[in-house]
Order: sequence, then C-alpha cells, then structure tokens
Amino acid sequence: MLVLTRKIDQSIVIGDNIKIIIVDVRGDQVKLGIEAPKDVSVHREEVYEDIQQENRRAVVSRSINIDELNRLLNRSKNGGC
Amino acid sequence: MELNTKRFGIIKIDPEEIINFTQGIYGFEDYHRYVIINHKDSIFSFLQSVDESWLSFVIVMPELLQPDYQVALEAKYVKELELEDSSEGQVYVILTIPERIAEMTANLQAPLVINKKRRTARQVILMDGKYQTRHNVFTEKQRSAYEKQAQKRAKAN
Repeated sequence: MLVLTRKIDQSIVIGDNIKIIIVDVRGDQVKLGIEAPKDVSVHREEVYEDIQQENRRAVVSRSINIDELNRLLNRSKNGGC
Repeated sequence: MELNTKRFGIIKIDPEEIINFTQGIYGFEDYHRYVIINHKDSIFSFLQSVDESWLSFVIVMPELLQPDYQVALEAKYVKELELEDSSEGQVYVILTIPERIAEMTANLQAPLVINKKRRTARQVILMDGKYQTRHNVFTEKQRSAYEKQAQKRAKAN
C-alpha cells in the first residue's frame, strides 16, 4: 500500500483522471473530494462490505419451500393471515 | 447442456440462457455465469451459478414487491452493460430468506441489472439513499401475525 501524507487542499492523482482532494480535517474526520470520470464507481468501503455480506447471507443454504413463500405472499396480499 | 445443482439436482439448461456477470456478484467475484430458473406460478426465481453447484440466490423483480421501485441507472452502468435503451434491461433483487421466512428481506440497494439481448449483467449499487440493503418484504403486522400462527402450529403438533 502506498502511504502519502497530505495537508488540507493538497491532492493525490490516481491514473490519468482520478483526483482525491483533502477538503477538510476536523478531529478524527477527514473530508475528501473525489474527481473521477462518470464511468468509475466511488463508494465508501462499508457500502461494498455491507452488500458483500448481505449477498453471502442470501445464498440459498437450505431447502427453501417456494410454495410456502407464495402462500405467505398471497395471504399477505389479501390482507389477512 | 447439463448442470449440476445442489438445489435442483442435475438439470438441463440451454447455453443461450446463460447470463454473464462480468464482475461477478459482490462477495462472489470469481463466479460469472448464472442461469435464471423460474418457478411455475411464482414471482420468485432462482439465480443459479453455472460454475458452482452450491451457489444460488432467490430473486424477484422488485416492482412486484414495491410498485414504485425505480432504478436510476448511472451512466457508467448503462455504458458498461451496453444498454441502448431502458427496455433492454431487466432488474431483479436478491432476497435473503431466514428460518422465519416472514422476516425475509430484499436487497433493494444493490439490484441485479441484466442486458437481455447481450446476456450480460452486473450488480449495481444505488447511491441515492432511497433504498435499503435489507428491506422487509412483509410489514411488522404481517410478521407478528405469521409468528403467532407458527407458534400455534408448533403447540398443536
């Protein structure tokens, strides 16, 4: 991992067209500005991790009774139980 | 071609039906090829990996759970999936179904977008904060009603 130290208003350039700017530093929070082309995704890491974790939890690991799911859904559509 | 699956045993699929998730699915980035197995008379389908027999997900078209669900696809996704217009895209969401099935949730924040014509797909992350990763399919009222019924049935047995 490349570790660089920057001050407020300084920036880092990645590749040809991604720029990260240190906008503000307050206590333990750093505000970053990101300039990147529209076709590059930028997300907080926790978002990726949350989705990875949810996908893993969603893997079918036991016999799911689709008929039971249907019944439950239909019952709830009809308002009653 | 024949496909070995944990859920369905050995099944026959048409290779033309295979969908290629170019980046895989988050958490399963190494697996790219899937087929959709529809269940008769049900809105629920299975997304079955062609490469790993144990890997499958229950999926559903989100507008069937939430009629006003809208995916505003960012330009980068439209470009990557080569979607020429929105009618070429098919959206599904992955469901997490726990033991207490009434507690099931839908990942509305990270839907699957499929280019029907090219048979390519990817999982996209919606960033407008409107949708949750774990959206309860059933309301709290429905869930507690189901729970009460389940308890009654357990007592009766």
